[in-house]
Amino acid sequence: MSSRRGVGLGAFTDRTSTASAYQTRGSELKQSRAASLLAQREVIQSLLHNFAVQHVDTIKANPQFRAEFARMCHAVGVDPLAGSNARGKKSEGGLRAKVFGADLKDFYCSVAVRVVELCQRTVAENGGLIGVKECCEAVTRGRAGLIGGGLQVSEDDIKAAVKSLEPLHSGFKIIIIAGKEFVRSIPKELNTDQSTVLEILQLLGNITISLLVLNLSWPKARAKTVIDDLQADSLVWVDKQCPEWEYWSPHGLLDED
Amino acid sequence: MAGVPQQQTDSFKFPKIHTDYPPFFTLQITASSRQAQLERWSRLVQRYCRHHKIFQLSIVDYQDKELFKNSKLNKTLFPDDIRKVIDHMVSQDGQQRAEWLTPAKASAWIWWRRPEEWALAIAAWVDDTGQKGSVLTLYEIVEGDATETQEFHAMDMDVLRKGLAVLAKQGKAQVFGTDDQQGVKFF
Repeated sequence: MSSRRGVGLGAFTDRTSTASAYQTRGSELKQSRAASLLAQREVIQSLLHNFAVQHVDTIKANPQFRAEFARMCHAVGVDPLAGSNARGKKSEGGLRAKVFGADLKDFYCSVAVRVVELCQRTVAENGGLIGVKECCEAVTRGRAGLIGGGLQVSEDDIKAAVKSLEPLHSGFKIIIIAGKEFVRSIPKELNTDQSTVLEILQLLGNITISLLVLNLSWPKARAKTVIDDLQADSLVWVDKQCPEWEYWSPHGLLDED
Repeated sequence: MAGVPQQQTDSFKFPKIHTDYPPFFTLQITASSRQAQLERWSRLVQRYCRHHKIFQLSIVDYQDKELFKNSKLNKTLFPDDIRKVIDHMVSQDGQQRAEWLTPAKASAWIWWRRPEEWALAIAAWVDDTGQKGSVLTLYEIVEGDATETQEFHAMDMDVLRKGLAVLAKQGKAQVFGTDDQQGVKFF
């Protein structure tokens, strides 16, 4: 490139040609960098994949390890569930990869089964709304009296398991109330008022009609309707042994036997 | 008989729903919540009675005890509601885990083990210890050193008789003697 700055009219054409030269060079550089990054990513992906194959047992057994692994997979665009059974080569690696993919899928399936089971068993008590954390603790603890008991899982596993149920249109999904994640096992949508009240419940633990009237400036009838609806759906329980009836959310009660 | 536990606040661990959840003590209006609640109470009553080896529960005796009263929260399951809990336990739904002694519903057997289950446990013990064909007194079974490790040790005599009656019906035992001098022969 010329180091001399052109003078007169010629400078204009010169400048545009310089700019376009920069542009071409720039895009060339970009392209080659992208290509090398892509290559690097492929290398990392395959390394990660080999790593997964080698350490499949640890991944299955250790929830923390699994969570970190899943995070890495996510960052470099590897689906830990899909494994690489898409490759379908008959090479040893391909075969092992297949087994591995299926293995981890199995794992999430069995987590999903336990989540579904737990939700169904407790739906009368909690109206089909259960904290992800609680769910995780219950699945880890296993069911009393059942052989084979608990499964070492993290909250991420629970979420992944719930997500894996999506294609079944089961209505299972993760919802967030006041910053806390819940598994919703009933495909019934909450209206805005109900969500608002659940949020307050999440923060305060319990509510009364007059608390809603005071803080949300709702007419009493509106507050009462929302609470009646939540109560009818088993999403709140009532305590009548107090000056004004208190409504509590039935969460965090899954200990015992 | 219907032993009210001596103020031993030993290691029975109440579940969170009892220690920290006031609505547990108000019977819920919503049918599904109420069903879940009755089931939780049933499980709790069974677990509590098993822990304290309570066989017969009289409502008057227990309505003010820790089982139905949480003094920290200042909540009580009132006698009428205790009755509903036990009604539930008596029902098919509640897997017949209780049985009223009289129609007045003042006290009930709490079957944390049903008589058939006691029968099984006793028969297994007789088998394991090679006592088929031998004669034991009922007192020995309940209070003897030989049964100390068994769950039926220190059990209620009436419940033992019910259990043995089940075995007798199956032709596995025969009870004889009079009230305080009863014995049983196992076949």
